[in-house]
Formats: sequence, C-alpha cells, structure tokens
Amino acid sequence: MRSHSRRIASMTAVLAAGALALAGCAKGGGGGAPQGAAGTSQKPLENKAVSAIAVGTAADSTGPAPEVTGAKSGGTVYMIDRDDFSHLDPGRIYLNYNASVSKLFTRTLTDYKRDDAGNIKLVGDLATDTGTTTDGGKTWKFTLKDGLKWQDGTPITSADIKYSFERLFADFITEGPDYAETWLVPDAKKPFREQYKGPYDGKELDTIETPDDKTVVFHLNGAHPDFNFTVAMTGYGAVPKAQDTKQKYDKQPFSSGPYKIVSHITDKSLDLERNENWDPKTDPIRHAYPDKFHMEFGIQAQQTTERFLADAGNDKYAFTFHNAVAPERVQEVLGNAEAMKRSIQGLTPFTTFYNINTKRITDINVRKAIITAWPAKQIQQIGGGEINTGKIATTVMSPTVLGYEAFDLYGKLAKPEGDPEAAKKLLAQSGTPNPTVVYAYNQTPTQEKVTVAIKEALTKAGFKVVAKPLNAGTYYDAIGPVDNKYDIYWGGWAADWPTGSTAIQPQYDGRLITDNSPNYTHLNVPEINDAIDKANAITDAAEAGKAWAAIDRQIMEQAAIVPEYYQTYFGLYGSGLGGVRFDPVWGEQSAIDIYVKQ
Amino acid sequence: MTSYLVRRVTGALVILVIISAITFYLFYAVPRDPARAFCGKICQPETLALIRHNLGMDEPLFVQYWHWLVGIFAGRDFVQFGSCPAPCLGYSFATQEPVFSAIVDRFPVTLSLTLGASVVILAFGILTGMIAAWKVGQPLDKIASSSSVIGASLQIYFVGPLLAFYLVDTMQLIPRPSYVPITENPLDWFTHLLLPWVVLSIIFTANYTRMTRSQMVEQLAEDYVRTARAKGMSSRTVFFRFAWRGAMIPILTIFGVDLATLLGGAIITEQTFSLHGIGELAVRAVQNTDLPMLLGVTIVGAAAIVLLNIVVDVLYAFIDPRVRLS
Amino acid sequence: MTTVSWSGEPGTSRGPGPFLSVRDLSVEFSTEDGIVHAVDGLSFDLEKGTTLGIVGESGSGKSVTNLAILGLHDPAHTKIGGEIWLEDQELISAGRGTMEKLRGNRVAMIFQDPLTALSPFHTIGRQIGEVYRKHKGASKKEARDRAVEMLRRVGIPQPETRVDHYPHEFSGGMRQRAMIAMALVCDPDLLIADEPTTALDVTVQAQILDLLKELQQQFGTAIILITHDLGVVAGTADNVLVMYAGRAAERGTVREVLREPRHPYTWGLLSSMPRLNSSVDVPLKPVRGTPPSLLNPPSGCPFHPRCDYPKLAGPELCFNQRPSVSPETGHGDACYLTLEQKKELRTAQTKDHA
Repeated sequence: MRSHSRRIASMTAVLAAGALALAGCAKGGGGGAPQGAAGTSQKPLENKAVSAIAVGTAADSTGPAPEVTGAKSGGTVYMIDRDDFSHLDPGRIYLNYNASVSKLFTRTLTDYKRDDAGNIKLVGDLATDTGTTTDGGKTWKFTLKDGLKWQDGTPITSADIKYSFERLFADFITEGPDYAETWLVPDAKKPFREQYKGPYDGKELDTIETPDDKTVVFHLNGAHPDFNFTVAMTGYGAVPKAQDTKQKYDKQPFSSGPYKIVSHITDKSLDLERNENWDPKTDPIRHAYPDKFHMEFGIQAQQTTERFLADAGNDKYAFTFHNAVAPERVQEVLGNAEAMKRSIQGLTPFTTFYNINTKRITDINVRKAIITAWPAKQIQQIGGGEINTGKIATTVMSPTVLGYEAFDLYGKLAKPEGDPEAAKKLLAQSGTPNPTVVYAYNQTPTQEKVTVAIKEALTKAGFKVVAKPLNAGTYYDAIGPVDNKYDIYWGGWAADWPTGSTAIQPQYDGRLITDNSPNYTHLNVPEINDAIDKANAITDAAEAGKAWAAIDRQIMEQAAIVPEYYQTYFGLYGSGLGGVRFDPVWGEQSAIDIYVKQ
Repeated sequence: MTSYLVRRVTGALVILVIISAITFYLFYAVPRDPARAFCGKICQPETLALIRHNLGMDEPLFVQYWHWLVGIFAGRDFVQFGSCPAPCLGYSFATQEPVFSAIVDRFPVTLSLTLGASVVILAFGILTGMIAAWKVGQPLDKIASSSSVIGASLQIYFVGPLLAFYLVDTMQLIPRPSYVPITENPLDWFTHLLLPWVVLSIIFTANYTRMTRSQMVEQLAEDYVRTARAKGMSSRTVFFRFAWRGAMIPILTIFGVDLATLLGGAIITEQTFSLHGIGELAVRAVQNTDLPMLLGVTIVGAAAIVLLNIVVDVLYAFIDPRVRLS
Repeated sequence: MTTVSWSGEPGTSRGPGPFLSVRDLSVEFSTEDGIVHAVDGLSFDLEKGTTLGIVGESGSGKSVTNLAILGLHDPAHTKIGGEIWLEDQELISAGRGTMEKLRGNRVAMIFQDPLTALSPFHTIGRQIGEVYRKHKGASKKEARDRAVEMLRRVGIPQPETRVDHYPHEFSGGMRQRAMIAMALVCDPDLLIADEPTTALDVTVQAQILDLLKELQQQFGTAIILITHDLGVVAGTADNVLVMYAGRAAERGTVREVLREPRHPYTWGLLSSMPRLNSSVDVPLKPVRGTPPSLLNPPSGCPFHPRCDYPKLAGPELCFNQRPSVSPETGHGDACYLTLEQKKELRTAQTKDHA
C-alpha cells in the first residue's frame, strides 16, 4: 500500500516532510493513548498487529463473510471526505484511499480478511485459496471460485484475469505498482514495456497461462514467495476486456464486487448501488448491508469533525474513509464520551523517520550519536503530542508488518528527549568529537520549530548543525540525487503489502541506489543485501517474517535512520451506523462491514 | 459603441494570451517534475520518461505552450488521459478530468456566489451608506459607520463557521450551505447560498457603506447639487437623483477593482462552506501543484475579471454621459 | 436666531415697503477652528425692476448673504440672525417646504461656474424642464417645450436639438446662457446672480450682462448682482453695496458710489481697477494687505489694519469702535472720517492718479 496521505499520493513530490508529519495530521490525525489526557475512557493503543498477520487456508477463503452481530440490510450510507478518489482504474491505484473504496466494486485474486479480534489473514478473494507454488515462488497457480460474475452477469474468467495483468503494460497506466509487470517479462533487468506493450495491439503475454476458464498460472522470472501478497494489491484488481474503456475506465470502472457505480461526478460525489450479480457466497471478506452509498468530497477535516460531533440529519449515517479528527478538536473529542463511542483508532502502516545519509556520514559512531541525541519527545510535543502524530518509533518496520519485533537499540523510549552525554561518548569514539551535520528540512512554520529543537539537542551533544530550509514543493527533488549535499532529512514509508519485502527492500537494498529512488540513506551493506535475498527466498511466511525482523535490527545497528513515528489514525463516524471498523491494512475506516442501525 | 466593444474585446484577448504565456512559463519553470505524480511509488526512470512523453512535456517549453494554445481551439489527444475536445485546457494532473469541463462544471457555483454577494454588497452597502449620509452626524449615521468598521475587520473563515454553527447546526434556521442549480429549484438555490452570500459580503459591504457615505457627503457639497437645491428640488430629489448619480461613479470604479478581490473572497468562502466552485479548484490545484488546472483557473479568472471590467466600463457610460465609448 | 422688531419702518404687517428687505442679517458658521462671522449686521433693500450690485473681495460675505436669502446654508453648522423680508414673507423663519416652493420659482439664482453648477448627468433640457415641472406642475412635454423656448430666449441657436445635449457639450458662454434660462424658467421676481460672468471671457461677459438687462426690462425682475468687479456694476446696476468683512462699507446709487466714493476701501477698489480714460503708464494700486480673518475679526473698524488713515479720525476711534453705515438712507458709508476729510483725501488721490 502506498503512503497514507492523499497529498503525498497524488503528487509524490509534493509530499513534503512537514506536509506529512504535520499537515499529515489533518489526514492522519492521531490515535492511541493521549498524553496527559487523563480521565478519558481511552484504552492504550497496542502495537499488536505483529503476530496477527497470517496466510489463511482455502476454508478461510470460502464465503460468505461471517455476519456482523446486529447488522441488518437496507438504507443509505453517506461518506464525507476531503478528496475525491484520484483513481478508480485498479491498474492506476497505489493509494490506500483509492483502495478502500475500490474494495466495494473491485475484487482481487487475494485479499485481507480481518476477524473480530483484529487479526489479519491473507485469503483467496476471487481465487479459492491464496495460490499455490511448487518451485519456491517462481510459478504461481490460482483457481477462480464458482459463481463469480461481473455487474452485467457475465462470468469472471481466467482470461479476464490474464487481461487485467496484460493491460498494465499499456503506456497510460503508470501510476500503479509495477512488481508483477517486472516479474512477468523474460528479463527483470530490462524495462518491462520494452518487452511487452500491452494487449491493445492484439498481443498476449505468454507468461500468464489460462489452461481453463478457472485457472490462471503465472510464470515469474524469479522466485517471489510472497507473490500472493503482491496480487492482493488493488493495483492487480480485475478488469473485464469487454468493458475496458482505457483512460476513461479510471472514472467509472466495471464492478466485480457488491456495489456498482451509478454516477461519479469528479471532485463532488460518487453514488453506488447494490450489484445484484455479486454473490455473497463467493466472498469471504465483504458484506453488503446498505442498499446504497452516497459519497461527497471537498469537505475539510475541520468540517467533518464538526459535522460528526453535531451528528445531525444524514450525517448520522455518515462515515469518512480518510478524514481524521482535526488536530485542534482532538482534546474536545477525547473529552466527549458520546463521540468517543463512535470513534475509530488504530495504527496505520505508515512510518516516518529521519534519513541519515550514510554516504556522507560514514562513521557509524557519529550516526549512532545522532540517534542517541535526537529530541524525539520535543518533536512530538511540537507536533501536538502522540494523538496528533503517532507513537514514537524505534524500528524500520511498522508493527503492522508481518514479523515485526519491538526493540529499542538506542534507549529512545527510556530517554525520548535525547541523551547528550551518551552521544558525546559515542562521538569521542568516532575521532570527530564535534562533527558538522547538514540538516535539510521542509520550510514550514512547524518544521522551523522542529529544526530549532533538533539543532539544540544535537548541539548539546557536541554537533555543529547547519540547517538548510527546502521548498515544500520541491523537497523530494532536492533530496533525490544520490550526491545530494545533506546529511539528515525526513522521510516516510509504508509497505505495499505487510511483509518485509516492500517494507525494507526498496529502501535498504544497496544495489538499488539510483537518483530519486527510495533509498535515501544510501545504505549499501553487503551483509544486509545478502540477508534481503535470503529473506525473499523463504516460502514460509512466518519464517520470512523472522528473517525480515532480523534485517530490521541490522539496519538499526547500522544507524541509518532516526525512526520518528508509527503513525496512528483517529476518526469519527455518525451514530446511526454500525460495523464501522478500522482497516489496519489501509490505515483508515473500512466500508465493508458497515450497516445502518434500524 | 460596437466598435468600442470590438476594440476592448480584442485588447482583452491579447492581454489573456500574454497572461497565459507568462503564467505558463512561470508554472512550468518550477524546478520539479510533474511527471512524478503519475509514477508509482518506486518510479523507474523509463516510466518517468514515458509519462513525460505522454504529457507532451519532453518538448521545449514554447512548443508545449503552442500545443496548449492550439488545444484551446482544436482540441488535443493525451496518451495519459485520452482525447480532449476543444476548447481543451488540458487535463488536471490531480483528478485526471479535462480542465475545461471541470471549470465549466463549477462555474455556476462561483458565479452564483459572486453575483449574489455583489448584489448583497451593493444593495446593503449603498443603502446603509446612503442612510448614513442622509443622517450625517446623527445616531443612525454613527451606528451605520461603526458597524461598518466592525464588519470590515471580520474575516470570512472566522464568521463563516461561527454563523454556520449557530444558524445551521444549533438553530437550524437555514439549510447547510451547498449549491442547488437555480434551474433545478430557485428557492433552494437561494436558501442554500444565503449564508455564503452574507459571509462573503460582510467585509465588502462595510467598505461600500463607508465609501457611499463619504462619496455622498462629498457630492452633496458639489456645485451642481447646490444648484439643484437652488432650483427648489426637494431634499429627497437632490439626494437620490443628483448626488447619488455622482457618488455611484467612484463606487463603480472601486467595484470594478474589487471584483478580483471578491473572487479571492469567493475562494475562502467556498473552502469555508465546502462549495464546489472555481475557488476550491484553485486551492486544490495549488496544493497539488496541478499545473494545467492552475493555468486554466488563472486564465478563466483573468478572463472573468477582464470581461467584468468591460461591463463596468459600459455601465459607466450609462451613468456618466461625459464618458463616451468611442 | 433673533428677531429684531422694527419700530416705525416697515413693521410686521408690511405695507408698500421695499420688495426685498434685509435687516441686520448675521451669519455665523461653526467650524473646527471656531466661529466664523461671515456676515455681521448687514441691512439693505431692493426694489422691483432694479439691480443691486454687491461688491467686495472674496470672503467679504457677499455670496453667503445671498445663500442665506435662499436658505441654502448648511443648517447644522450655521446660525442666522436678523430678518429677510420678501414682500410680506419672512424667509429666515420660513419652513423647508415654503423655501422649496420659493426657490427657482420666485427667487432664482445663477452661479459662477456653469460647468460645475450644472449636473453633468442630465440633459440641459431636463435640468431646465424639471424646475418648470416642479413649480408649475407642467407635463414632461410642456416642460420640454418650455425649455426650448427658454433656450431660444437666452439666445442659444438650434434650441430644439441643444435641449437634449449635456452640459459638457456646451461652450462656457452657452452653459451660462442655459443656466440663466434655467433660472428664469418660472419668471422669478428676484434673480440672484453670483459672479455670473467671472468664468467667462470678456466678449461673452458683455453678452451675458446685456442679456440680463434685457430680460430685466422685459419682466421687471429684481436682480442682485454679486461681483468683485466694479466695472460690471457700473454698466449694469442701479444701486451698489460695497461689503467688507461681512459688513456694509458703503451703499448708494451707482453714480454716487463710483463718482464720489466715500469709504477708503471703495477708493482702494476703484484705484485697483483699470480705467479707459486713464493713461496706461499709471500703475494700478491694489488695496494693501490681505482681507481679515473672519474667525477672529479685528477690533474696531474691520478695515483699519489696511486703512491708510486710521488716525485721522482720532487716536483710538478706528481701533476700538465699529462704525455703522450713516446716514441711514441714501448714499452712506461706515467710516469715522468726516465728509470733508474724505473729500480732501479723495481729491488728492485722484490728482496723483491723473
């Protein structure tokens, strides 16, 4: 899944350090136990997703989804949010926000099923199970369920699935993930569009076989044991050849899920109604209690917060996918017991951190000293406390990633305000007791304050800090080049699926370093590169999780980043709705269990 | 008159082309690559190059501008978005919809908001200003003058939510502001826009109260007004027929200038009340560095202001016979 | 507002008194700097069919006096005392409605600058016609016909087309003619002309003055002609009132005042005016000094700071006491010098000049 904020998503480069950590509050909001908000009816947020991600069985993949207690069919559910969905063509979807709504009308081979205890299981969605591989992940076979239909009643066949992958090679589909495309061409090292140009000129992709209407076989150019997680991405959702309107498909996709699009007015509204051709017996994940969804856009977080608090008229039956409680209203909401009953909290897959440019700061003790002296607590306070920012992080992987292990190598939880004395000792070992570091930051009022705190803390430990303000619009363009002239700069990441391969490899595989690649720390340690390859080859998901956690520890031992937050979500919904849940995979509210109270 | 209009419109078109060229160069010269917005999280260089080509951004800037200009009259095709029929202002980078249709779609909202607010501003501002001038120095004048000072110091984003909270949420006197097309239901159109009109007008109305008052006072001291009184015209006639005409000219001038500001105010008002107007488009375009949308909104905004100024100039001629449209 | 009762003379039930009688008029403006005594104890009379020229420098109170007759002063800041009788109607105490009916109808006024004094937003015809409609209850059509007739009468060529023109389309002289047409549209009994020719060039001046005279002969209108130009008075007026600092300095017939001026201020005015029969190389002698501040008028005779002979009437008199016009009727002036002294000084002066 992609970064949390739509702002980031719609324009990668606009994603500015501050925009996320702070403005991101507007989106991300807070969650978890509020600091100093004693006396509220809050349960502390646990980093619990860890062991709860698992690969389900064929039985888990069988529909219908277990009934939500007390749920009844009927009624209209309203959704109010700031932004319209930037893409609805599955091939162009990378963002959690677009993925959340797509779940109502786009189905994928596999998907995540959440139980009442909050455990996550990867299960077959269109497929009868999570796929099978007999050669360590090079060849994957999926079998489609019986009774699958498009919204016009025609059956969903293996040919449709093959076509859905083929069209991703078209020149206009550039926004989505490209893992499968890279793995499905003969040579993974060469650009995939040079090897196949998509189905629109009549050519097929030989690496996908459809021996019969129900079976799809993928022949990958390498072993990818978690390919079944890959195809759970909305980006690999099903698109019927007969209904492919190319660029226009983005505004009005054809439904394979429980709802179909009645009208979509860009930036204003999206109306969904029940898709009668969707059979609940084929679907282990989705419910379809409401008759209709009416979604409205252009409503700022401040306004959704006020409307949810007022809980009047149709707003009673409204939820929001993405809008969090506005930061300035958080304390008020926390103190409102009635509103807290209709609040949603949870840990999103998004993590933030400060990259340390290992190409410039080559001395590991200097890097360790930076982490040790770092004023994590001061920064969190400037950001408005845990509820508005997130939990202070100490690892690379988020607790939402399979295999996550909690550890704190530099005692940041014990001394979150920084330990200048310990840092001084580390600097003494480095031979440069007073190193100069260049800190580049996004020039926003809050980031200015954060910079002051960082400068103060590092100076106390003996650093000389040069602060370089960067323009918010071009932040990523400035830190993108491998030979950039900065030592420390903020960044954010979310895994594309909850395993270490996308949580760690894109950022810390030293062989992938190029300009503008996500490896902003420029960390290139052979042992880590090797370990990544080994972890990628492990077929058992739990075993792989352990391997990735070990790599996480290796990276933290290298002191390549100062982890900042595991981001949290805190949102509200109307009193007339039941079954509104937090989706830990996408980090926002989920629509699939919602019902109108009657 | 006709030749005057032809000349003015031609001049306006030239101005718009110049504005568009400058804006185009300014926007597209920013040191960042819009193509990255169309690229997945881990963006391969060849994908980036493909996107640039799809967007036509692999050509020199002046060629890009030429394509943009031609697209307005002839339409264009984009690999990334599909066809874009004339008048084509390109596709939004953020929402992937044609810029022109997005603007056309939202135009009635901003137009309703701005025109409605203009009516409120002019009607209320001029009325209270006239009352103040009529009763110069008396309590009514003082009330009108001081409330205008208060009004002028208020802010849309402060008054808006406050009034919405009391009038919409608490007392439920008026419906939540939204846009109902006037063709669909004129009454709903009116009631749903009432609050935005009032909020947008508050600061401006105050200005017009002050201006009208001082202009009236000034006009009342003019020789021709004295002549009118010397002719035995009643105070009412003098006030409303003679002085008013003179006072309206500077007010109209200022209003022509204020139209641009009013559009600015409409942006804030749209944000405050979640109205889907041009202003919202503009704000979103800035937030997303959505260049085609920014350019489109800028041009349409400039065109609107230029056009309205022509209208104001024509109105001039009707009020003041000394202005000749030739 | 004080009402001085007249004993003996006209009285409240006025018999065949003068057509217009101004008695002891005083006008005070309150300003931010203090009270301006614009007119102070002014009295004069005017008979039907005659012209009174009021002469004085700017700020001498001549315009203020006439605005007071029409009640055009700003009531919020002006205090008026004395009486103004128009036949048997007292104007200072008259109500707003009465004054509105009077203005433009029985009493009309012509202003100095016809460009600013005419409304730029309405056609000449409309501006003339609306007076007629207001006071005579005429229809639009009648008012328009009347406007054309009036324009013709004041000598504007092609009045049928000009009637629809705007003031800015007229020349200066034409505008003043239109202004006169507007003033005379209701056949007023009294016409107040406030510097009607100052803004015009000399040939046009003469035409306008002739026009006024002609119209007076035709309709027997009484005219008050306000001017700073004694030459204009000489050719047009029957009587003259010289004003200084809001007070009358000298009054009499044109002949009396111009031939045998008595007040030193009048002498000054006359000698500052070029004459056709004097040689060109004789320099003009303006009155020295500047007009007094009306906020804080000088003690005694208001003219004494500029007068060459303040000590001739005695060591203190001119400095401490305010002279009033004497004798009460006929040729009179407000000066403490004796008639003999004046005659002597005047003879000496004119000799110097000649």
